[in-house]
Amino acid sequence: MPMYQNGEVDPALQALEARQDEILRRLYELKAAVDGLAKTVTTPDADLDATTLSQGSTASVFTGTTDLDSLLGKDLGALRDIVINANPTRPPLSLLVLHGLLCQKYRVLSSVHVHSSVSSVPPQLLSCLGPRHADSYARHHFQLGFTLIWKDVPHVQMKFSTQKMCPIEGEASVARFLFRLLAAEPRDAAAATQVDGWIDTAVFQMAEGSAKERAAVLRALNSALGRGSWLVGQELSLADIVCASSVLQTGSASSAPPNVQRWLKCCENLGYFSCISPLLP
Amino acid sequence: MALNLIVNSSNPPLGALLAAEHVKGTVNVSVQEGKDTKLHVSDQVQFNDVNSITRYLARVAPSLGLYGSNMLEQTEVDHWLEFSVRRLCGQSKVAPALGELDRALALRTFLVGHSLTLADLCVWAALKGSGEWQAIQASKSGSFRHLYRWFSFLSSQAPF
Repeated sequence: MPMYQNGEVDPALQALEARQDEILRRLYELKAAVDGLAKTVTTPDADLDATTLSQGSTASVFTGTTDLDSLLGKDLGALRDIVINANPTRPPLSLLVLHGLLCQKYRVLSSVHVHSSVSSVPPQLLSCLGPRHADSYARHHFQLGFTLIWKDVPHVQMKFSTQKMCPIEGEASVARFLFRLLAAEPRDAAAATQVDGWIDTAVFQMAEGSAKERAAVLRALNSALGRGSWLVGQELSLADIVCASSVLQTGSASSAPPNVQRWLKCCENLGYFSCISPLLP
Repeated sequence: MALNLIVNSSNPPLGALLAAEHVKGTVNVSVQEGKDTKLHVSDQVQFNDVNSITRYLARVAPSLGLYGSNMLEQTEVDHWLEFSVRRLCGQSKVAPALGELDRALALRTFLVGHSLTLADLCVWAALKGSGEWQAIQASKSGSFRHLYRWFSFLSSQAPF
């Protein structure tokens, strides 16, 4: 059968073409509907406008290791959320520094909230974990949640995995927990215990102590830092992070003895403390 | 490696002594009376406060699991060590802390995990030295039932 008669298309063929176009159009519609459904399923905020979401761009941005299972036990599919309650009158600077380090190692979904027990919080405390994450709707793309709540509490509290673990109180204990997610403690029992000793000194005597106790801690730091660049061993440890944070927080950096000044400079040069500089007195 | 624990005889550090008692089968540690409490590890390394001494002893005897068996338990142990220093030792009003302990022990035999840890040793030692807790125990008021059960359970064990 010839395809063309007198330059006109065979009506049967025309009908067939029209039918194919119709089928293709319906297929596209179905695909769009399925895509839309898929987005609402993966998006906790169902009212979010699905058209503004970019597709497939998140996975390539992040690099990180997934060894949290071995540290924290089996992943149950939900985001592991570290919830920290802290008093805005005494921001836990060491925890903010550790948050920055966690962000370098893991994909962390950070957020800051204000509890109703606190009336007003300065803007620098609301932005202390960096800008709100653009992909915060897709919680399954993250390995860790870090939720900071400014609240009227006497001491820092951390709630994590509440079915297995009691709430943890105190900046020192929370700092130790966060650091264990970053690095194993020193193999040497004496070194590991020295680190713990410095953390206790920083939290109990420096941050909460009298002027006399602070001066004593600064002298102890100065003599320890005369023997090496860091407080314990050959590299930076949690002892350095917590002690430097508390020296900076108490505003005694400018009047500190020479070895302490040099060590603070080293800490600053590593860039770990840049995130807390807007919060310093 | 011989460790030497020197204890202040006028104010004996119960927590450190309990920890030393627990690790003595695994680690060679001798106890001596003296003026100030300290654990002599080497000429360069000495620990003066109870929490550091107990942490060190738990670390050199890892098979006993006194510091918990994973990092979650380890963090809970840290929490109770800090709790015993901040809320129990030398405090005049310990009732709120006792209430918290009672709630924590409601569903537990030991404070952390399913076996004895530093948390039990240090909190028990702090309570033992608390006049307020002694008074509550003597009054047999029936308050802090879970805490009472845990305290007497530990008190009946050989090392305590």
